[in-house]
Amino acid sequence: MLILSEDGGVRAVEDRFTVLGDEEGAGRARPVILSRARFEADAERLWSEGFELGVRLAADDKVEDLAYDLPRLAVVALEFPKFRDGRAFTSAVLLRQRYGFLGEVRAVGDVLLDQAFAMVRCGFSAFETRASAADWARAIGRYAVVYQTSADGRQPAFLARATKS
Amino acid sequence: MYAYDGLDRSLVRDRVDEFRDQVARRLAGSLSEEQFKPLRLMNGLYLQLHGYMLRVAIPYGVLSSAKLRALAHVARRWDRGYGHFTTRQNLQFHWVKLSETPDILAYLAEHDLHAIQTSGNCIRNTTTDPFAGAARDEADDPRVWCEVIRQWSTLHPEFSYLPRKFKIAVTASAKDRAAIKAHDIGLRLGRDAEGRLVFEVLVGGGLGRTPHIGALVKKDLPADRLLSFLTAILRVYNREGRRDNLYKARIKILVSELGLAAFAEKVEQEWAALDPTEIDILGTELARIRGQFALAKLDPRPAVSRGFEAARTREDFARFARNNIAPHKVQGYGIVTISLKGIGDTPGDCTADQMEAIADLAESYSQSEIRVTHAQNLVLPNVALDDALALFEGLRAIGLASANINLASDIIACPGLDYCALANARAIPIAQAIARRFEDPIFEEAVGELQVKISGCINACGHHHLGHIGILGVDKKGEEYYQLTLGGSGAEDAAIGAVLGPAVAAGDVADAVEALARRYLEVRQPEERFLDTVRRLGPTPFKAAVYEHADTV
Amino acid sequence: MTSGVRTDRATAVTANALGGGEVVFLASSSPSAWTARFEDAAIFDSDVAAEAALSAAAASDFKVVDAYLIALDNSAGVWTPLSLRERIRALGPTTEPQLGPQARGGRVVEALQAADSAARSSGRIRLIRRR
Repeated sequence: MLILSEDGGVRAVEDRFTVLGDEEGAGRARPVILSRARFEADAERLWSEGFELGVRLAADDKVEDLAYDLPRLAVVALEFPKFRDGRAFTSAVLLRQRYGFLGEVRAVGDVLLDQAFAMVRCGFSAFETRASAADWARAIGRYAVVYQTSADGRQPAFLARATKS
Repeated sequence: MYAYDGLDRSLVRDRVDEFRDQVARRLAGSLSEEQFKPLRLMNGLYLQLHGYMLRVAIPYGVLSSAKLRALAHVARRWDRGYGHFTTRQNLQFHWVKLSETPDILAYLAEHDLHAIQTSGNCIRNTTTDPFAGAARDEADDPRVWCEVIRQWSTLHPEFSYLPRKFKIAVTASAKDRAAIKAHDIGLRLGRDAEGRLVFEVLVGGGLGRTPHIGALVKKDLPADRLLSFLTAILRVYNREGRRDNLYKARIKILVSELGLAAFAEKVEQEWAALDPTEIDILGTELARIRGQFALAKLDPRPAVSRGFEAARTREDFARFARNNIAPHKVQGYGIVTISLKGIGDTPGDCTADQMEAIADLAESYSQSEIRVTHAQNLVLPNVALDDALALFEGLRAIGLASANINLASDIIACPGLDYCALANARAIPIAQAIARRFEDPIFEEAVGELQVKISGCINACGHHHLGHIGILGVDKKGEEYYQLTLGGSGAEDAAIGAVLGPAVAAGDVADAVEALARRYLEVRQPEERFLDTVRRLGPTPFKAAVYEHADTV
Repeated sequence: MTSGVRTDRATAVTANALGGGEVVFLASSSPSAWTARFEDAAIFDSDVAAEAALSAAAASDFKVVDAYLIALDNSAGVWTPLSLRERIRALGPTTEPQLGPQARGGRVVEALQAADSAARSSGRIRLIRRR
C-alpha cells in the first residue's frame, strides 16, 4: 500500500489494518477495517475492546452517515468499483472539507495510477495499488498549477494571482 | 480576448507531458485499451472509422488569427490539410496518428491551445453566443463568465469522472444564439431590478436518445456566486446521477426522475452547506479576466458607411449583407458570419489554406479575432462596414462568400457514417444533396429562415431535434433511412421537433425537404418563418407534401 | 463444410492499427500479418477459421485495437464487405474520394464503391475484446 508522507512524498508501507469479514470472529484487539454493515452492528463493542477501527464505504454509501463516528475512526476506505466511477472523489472531499476528518482516507478497489493526482487533491492519503511509490509520486506531482481549491489545501491560480499583484 | 499567463501555460504544458506519458504506456502495452480509452477521450482523442480523431478545444468558440494559423499548420503537417468545426465550437482533425498526438499537442500548447476535456465524462468546453462582446442586446460579455467556468472546470479533481459528459452554455442576450436550453446547464446572464448581474440557471437540457429542454432551477443567482452554485449542481449529479445505464446517465434523467423541485432542493441544500469563500470567483480575478475582454478601441465611424451603401447596389454583396452581417454595438460596425456551407461543401469543413486566409482577413478587418458558431460557421465580430466589401471579396477568393446564414443550405451536419464509428447513416452527402436544391439564391431567400439539422445517429451531434427540419439517420436492415422531424428550435423558443412520419430513403431526403419548403411557401402568412407556419398549422399539410411520392419504410 | 453453407458469404478480420489508427485487415500473405489494403485481406470461409487466425495474430509485433470479424459478400463476383459501414472503412469517406485507401483506385476499390449489399447494423459478426 502507498501512503502520503508528512513531507508530501509517497511511501510504500505494510498495511497495519486487516479486513475483518462480516462473519469472522473478532479475535484479539488490533487495527481492522469493517464493512459498513459490520461497523454499524459491532463498532461500539470493538471499540470498547480496544480495537482500532476503519470502515469501508461502497461508492453509493453516504459519508454523512458516518459523521457522528468520524472522530473515533482511524480509516475511511472509499471504494472505486470501477475507476470510471467518480463518486468516491466527492466522498473524500466531504470527509475532509465538511467534516474535517483527519484520519486516513484510503482509495480501494479499481485504483488507477492516472487518477492519483485527482485523488490526492480530493483528500485521499492512502492507496491500495500495485503502482510503485516513484510512479505515484510522479503522477501526483505532475501539475505545478491548479485552478481550484480542494481538500489538499493547494493554492489555486486565482489566489496565486491575487497575492502576486 | 483572454491571453494565457504563465500559470495557464504551465498547466497546459504539464497536461501534454502527462498525455505523452500515457501514450507511451499505451504503445508499450502497460495500459490496456480499456484503461486508456477514458484517458485519451479526456484529451479529445477518439478512434473513429478511419483512424484517430483529435478534437481541439476552442474555449467558448474564440480564436485569434495566430491560433487559427496554428490550427492550419496542424491540419497540413499532421492531418490531411483540413479540419472540421463542430457544434461544440471545437475543431476536429480526422486523420491523426496516436503516436504523433503528443507532438501535435505540444505544438498546440505553444500557441495556447489544447484538447483538454473535449470528450469524456467530464465538464466539456463551455459554449456561448458567437456574437459575445459585439452584440447589441447583451447584458454583459458572456466570455468573461465562460473563462471563469473554463478555469474552474479544467482538471477539476472532483468532477472528472462523472456519470456522463456534461455541457454548459452561456448567453447574455434575450436572443439565444447558444442553444442554452439544450445543455446540461444553460446560463442566461441578465440584470435584476437593482441592476446587479444575475444568472438564470437552467438544468437538464440535452439531446441524444431522450431529448429534454432545460428547466429553470434558479432565478437571480448573484453572478459572483456562480461557481459555488455550479459546484452544488455537479456534486449532486456526481453522487446521484445514474451509473447503471449509459443511456440514463445524463443529468436530464436525474432531474426528471427526482422531479425538478426535489432536484432543486438538493442543490440548494448542498449550496447552503458549502463554503463559498473556497470556490467563488474573487473580485480581483474577475476584474483581471474582464479586463482582457475589453474591446480594443474601435475607430469611430459615421452611422452610415458610404462605401457600404454604395456596394449594396451590387446584388451579390447586397445578399451577403442581408444574410451574413448582423448589427454591432458600436456604430458603423457589423458582425460578419462566414458560411462554411457552400453548395456541395461538407458543413463545417475548412482547409488549411482557408484557415490561413481567414486569419489574414481577421487581422485586416476584425482585430485578429474569429469566433466559431455552434452552427459550424465562423464569425468575424468587429468589422467596420467600410471594410465589408473588401472582406466579401477576400472571402469570395477562397470560396467562402456564401450568403446563406440561417437559410436552408446553412445546414448543421455531424460527420456521420463517412467518419464516425457511432453513426448509422451518412449525414454529409444528405446535407450536400439538400443544399443543391437551394442553389438558386432567389428561391432560398424566398423560403427565408429555415434551419435544417442532420444527425447520423441518435446521439444527435447534428442537433436534429432542434432543427426546424430535423433529419436523423437510421439503419433499416442495413440500408440508410432518414427520419424527419418538424418544429424543433434551439433558440429562446426552444422545442424538440416532432416526428413527421415514416423514415424516407436516402435518395428521397432532398425531395422531402424541398417539398416541405414549397408547401410552406404555399401556406404561409406574411412575416411567418417556416417554423412559425409549422407551429400554426401543425404537421398535416407538411406530411401530405412529403409522403405523396416518397419511398418509405 | 455442409451443403447448406452459402458460397457467396465469407469472413475477413479487421481492426485499427494501434499507433497509426489506420484500418487494417488480416492479410492473406502470411499468418499474423496485417494489411491496410482490403484487396490483400485474407478471406476465411468460416468464422471459426477467422477467429483462429485472429488468435494467432495476437502474437504479432504489429499491435491493433478493437479487432472483429466482418461478413463479406460476393454477389458481384468480387469479395466486398457486406455492410456499408465496413465498405466505408475499407475505402475512406464517400465524400472525399481523394482520401483514404480508395485514393489508389483499382479493380477492387471500384467494386467496393459499386457494391450495394446491405447488412443489418454494422456488419460486425462478433466483437472480440482485445486487451
